[in-house]
Amino acid sequence: MKKKNVIKTMILTATVGCMTVLGGCGGSAPAAETTSAAPASNEAAAEVTAADETLSLAYQYGLSYAPAVIAQSEGLIEKAYEEATGAKLTVNWNQMSSGADINTAIASGDLQAGFMGVGPAVTGVTKGLGYKIFTNLSGQEHGMTSNDPSITGLGDLVGSDKQIALVNIGSFQHIILAKALAENGFDAHALDASIVAMKHPDGMAALESGSVACHLTSSPYIFKERDNGDLHELTEVANAYSADKSFIVGIAAEDLHDNKPAVYKALCDGIQAGMDLINSDPEKAASITCELDGNTLEVELDYMKKGVYSADTKGLFDLASFMYENAFIENDPQSYENLVFDNVKGN
Amino acid sequence: MSEPMLTIKNLTKTYQDSPEQPKILADLNLTVDREEFLCILGPSGCGKTTLLRCIAGFENFEGEILVNGVSRKEPGSDRIMVFQTFEQLFPWKTVEGNITWPLKKTGMTDKTERHRCAMEALAKVKLADYAHYYPHQLSGGMKQRVAIARALALKSEIILMDEPFAALDALTRRELQNELLTLSAAEHRTILFVTHNIQEAVILGTRNIVLQKGGKIIFDEKNTLPKPSTPSSPGFAEVWQRMRDAIYANENAE
Amino acid sequence: MKTSEKASGKTAEHLARIIFLLAVLGIWEYVARARLLGPRSELIFPSLEAIGRAFLRNFSKGYAGNSLWIYIGNSMKLLLTGLLIGNGLAFLLSGIAAVNHTFYSIYNLVISVCDLLPGVALLPVVIVIFGVKSGVIVFLVIHAVLWPMSRSILDGFMAVPMIYVEAGKNIGLRGVGLLFGIYLPASIAYIVSGLKVGWARAWRGLISAEMIFGIASCPGIGLFINQMRTNMNNAEMYATLVVIIIIGVIVQYGILTPIEKNTVKKWGMAR
Repeated sequence: MKKKNVIKTMILTATVGCMTVLGGCGGSAPAAETTSAAPASNEAAAEVTAADETLSLAYQYGLSYAPAVIAQSEGLIEKAYEEATGAKLTVNWNQMSSGADINTAIASGDLQAGFMGVGPAVTGVTKGLGYKIFTNLSGQEHGMTSNDPSITGLGDLVGSDKQIALVNIGSFQHIILAKALAENGFDAHALDASIVAMKHPDGMAALESGSVACHLTSSPYIFKERDNGDLHELTEVANAYSADKSFIVGIAAEDLHDNKPAVYKALCDGIQAGMDLINSDPEKAASITCELDGNTLEVELDYMKKGVYSADTKGLFDLASFMYENAFIENDPQSYENLVFDNVKGN
Repeated sequence: MSEPMLTIKNLTKTYQDSPEQPKILADLNLTVDREEFLCILGPSGCGKTTLLRCIAGFENFEGEILVNGVSRKEPGSDRIMVFQTFEQLFPWKTVEGNITWPLKKTGMTDKTERHRCAMEALAKVKLADYAHYYPHQLSGGMKQRVAIARALALKSEIILMDEPFAALDALTRRELQNELLTLSAAEHRTILFVTHNIQEAVILGTRNIVLQKGGKIIFDEKNTLPKPSTPSSPGFAEVWQRMRDAIYANENAE
Repeated sequence: MKTSEKASGKTAEHLARIIFLLAVLGIWEYVARARLLGPRSELIFPSLEAIGRAFLRNFSKGYAGNSLWIYIGNSMKLLLTGLLIGNGLAFLLSGIAAVNHTFYSIYNLVISVCDLLPGVALLPVVIVIFGVKSGVIVFLVIHAVLWPMSRSILDGFMAVPMIYVEAGKNIGLRGVGLLFGIYLPASIAYIVSGLKVGWARAWRGLISAEMIFGIASCPGIGLFINQMRTNMNNAEMYATLVVIIIIGVIVQYGILTPIEKNTVKKWGMAR
């Protein structure tokens, strides 16, 4: 078991690149290189009852991941596990830069759970990576602003050579652009050739400097752009996907759900506790995350209140169906139940 | 004799970065006649190479150097240099290219004429069969021959040779000395030949000079031995002895 | 005798390479077939056969209605433009630096500083200055080749033996004549190594830039790889990496090696 893991780690390091799997560790065995506290004698144990366990998680950066960040800094998952079983759970948090990286790591068995946008999550589930959504994490505001007064709606962009910056082709932001187009009577891919893939801050800089005509982005960049008097918003995009709909979700390996229900439950409860803190005491929640996000407490609190943090999904299956119908994914999601574990409520 | 080929007046050379250093060459005066084969000897550091480099135009100097009565300060193909190192040929050109390209650069526009000149010069140094070789495929002696052929083809009136045979083995050296002797008799060039080797000077030179440190000429003598001469030729030993004494006296004076 | 020995040495070398390659492929295939990477092994570590099929699919089906040829074509267009401008600038600026001492000292400093900056990190600045066009990618390719090439050329100029310069001056060459007639051919070994480094950096820089900064109207290989990765189509992604290697090998053995053979090696200037 351990030997196999070493081989796996070596191969992965060589192929995926060490950055993406840094700190990753596989299966039910403790990782050689992480801060595992589980004694070696317990490594093969997959019992439901009180055993010390390890859990490897991946998350990304930003306010959308606030419940996970809070769960990490407050040790909420560990606490939930200890309260339920009396045993110790060691959680390894890995920060990764994209849903694609997390997908690769989870497919290899080096991660048991992670947090990512609904786009890559739906891709991963329908690709058969062996995981499902165990919770909704947050909904955020999205929108598209422009620096060109002659552009007042999507119709002004279709057929023009004006460029739209967004984070990546095939990304969530691309999908809601397609959705907004479809809802307004255009072809969903009518603006594909206008897209320029740029990270959120680069896209904002490009928009402000006039290098691109439009920028489709999410919280908190959309707030900054809305505050900029030189820019105006094309409301079709914001209307196509409101802040209460699922944006970031938590995913967990089926293996974890099926074989380690106690750990799985602690994961769900810990994240729930993080969301509860945000909803009941946003000041405290913001004080935990503001430094990480590089905002003042006031700004962080303001942004946080604009987000929707709930465990129930909303609009998830609609979005997945839209993705399939418009060739963003290859496999039909078929049903809501295919996407989520049985404890998840919503649509 | 007609007007001198080369006139050097009050030549003084100091290295710029060390003005306090003693002068390499101080107030040197020298006249070289047309078709003279002047051998320049002297101990290491006496300035003989520097003298040649000043004439070639590679160094800044005070004083005046006149070629055919015209002052020269910059390098030019009328005074071609044959260096001691074998690496003086352009490695990116063939043996023939090493001659035709300089010909082109010095104004010979006709390609067939360049080829003819190069082949003629190569034939003179017995390398006609090697025209298409690259320098790295040649031996040291062959490279020096090509360098000499280059100087011949360029029709330079003055050929400056800085110990061109010093790095060769004794046998090749003797061979090349003989060839050079034949060529110098046939080609009507003025040759300034720096050497360490007294015997070489006695065999080749029609006039020999010895420099002292600081570039003072302490020996200047026409070599009237009939050519070709060998160490067993009558009078050879005497000339050899006189030059050796001059060099030694010079060294003892140090 | 000697040549046949040399030839058999060459054959042994080739044989060793082939064995090494087969061993690597064998290990790969074993890892894939034995599903060493867990239950989803075939998704993240596809077999050679799957990669082979994906290779063909890349060229027949491609992505978003475009065959991989289109992406390769776009990338190559940008790459060649960048290489041409980059190398041209390197020769021009190094040439000026060779004849003007003040310019040399400034340019030397500029090279030292710029060579350290990863092109991708410059993206935001470049976008603000040049706008969002495929020219940004060309700029990054230029950035990737200009500095190592200039460094190589200047180092090459510095290392030109004085004897060639004097031999050149002796036949009356001055300034530009000396630059083209002596300095350039005499520093060919440096220039060729500069070309090699520059090409590798440009090729890599192009793909990483395309992966980060994708222009949908001019999609390149990097964007293709990124899409395959995003969609978890790893077989297609590896197949595209194979394409990148093939192009690299073609350039190495079809262009750079012949250049080296016909200059440095032919002239006996290899170091």
